[in-house]
Amino acid sequence: MKKVKVFFNIEKEEKWLNEQLQKGYRCTNISSLGVYTFEKTDKKYVLRLDFQDNLPKNKLEEYKAMYEDFGWTYLKGSGLNGIRYWQKEDNEQNEIFSDRQSKGNYYRRLMAYSFMLGALCLAYSFMLYSDSSLYHEGLWSMDGSLFWKAFIFETPFVLLKLLPAFMAVLFASSYYKAHQKYSMLKEQ
Amino acid sequence: MRHKLLPLSETMHYILLALREPHHGYAAMQKIEEISKGTVILAAGTLYGAIENLNKHGWIESVGNSGRRKIYKITTDGEAVLKMEQERLLHIISLYEGSE
Repeated sequence: MKKVKVFFNIEKEEKWLNEQLQKGYRCTNISSLGVYTFEKTDKKYVLRLDFQDNLPKNKLEEYKAMYEDFGWTYLKGSGLNGIRYWQKEDNEQNEIFSDRQSKGNYYRRLMAYSFMLGALCLAYSFMLYSDSSLYHEGLWSMDGSLFWKAFIFETPFVLLKLLPAFMAVLFASSYYKAHQKYSMLKEQ
Repeated sequence: MRHKLLPLSETMHYILLALREPHHGYAAMQKIEEISKGTVILAAGTLYGAIENLNKHGWIESVGNSGRRKIYKITTDGEAVLKMEQERLLHIISLYEGSE
């Protein structure tokens, strides 16, 4: 079974994946384009998403060896978006974090990553939008059907130009969500 | 100001105690389960992060490999930290006993 889905929130993705596993599936492949492949199984599985964006090759090997010793299987991971997918058979040890400090550090890594990319998108947006206006200057002096034709023609390009700004908002919201979870952990 | 890992968390404390003998990560977890009488069972991500952190601060060091796994052992700095923690905890215990 294949399902296509796009997530902008790591915890929502983890929740959705585990909902699929509870229906009697295990995940066999996750592609970068958002195609999740599942396979029917009689056993029960759980999936956990860790976040590690900065793992050089030797560290990654040590990281994987450690999780695999605990019975986890590495499904997929990339340093680009930092998400590491771990799956294992359901038993009494289903978590990847066993104390508050390490769970807090997980949210801190998420915050640092969102902040960095958010700031990058914001800086890029400022550069892009201060140089030129969104629509072609001459557009506003056109009249009637010519105006609408040009307007409709240009709009997709304008939306494309707005992409870095949308991304900045997206990263800001994921920073905010991770920060909320982090403060909740600290207060409890 | 005091070191940011002090006083030691239960996780860090048990890892340092277990690594007075050289162990790789999973063996340290099993040792900790045993010496804590089954009350502390570390998860993979927690153990990985804690070992990274203790290694970064020079309280443990890698002393070899067992396949892909690294074997760690406490350093003299780490032992000094345990000594300090022992004195701190002994003092607290003496306060318990004084009030009885």
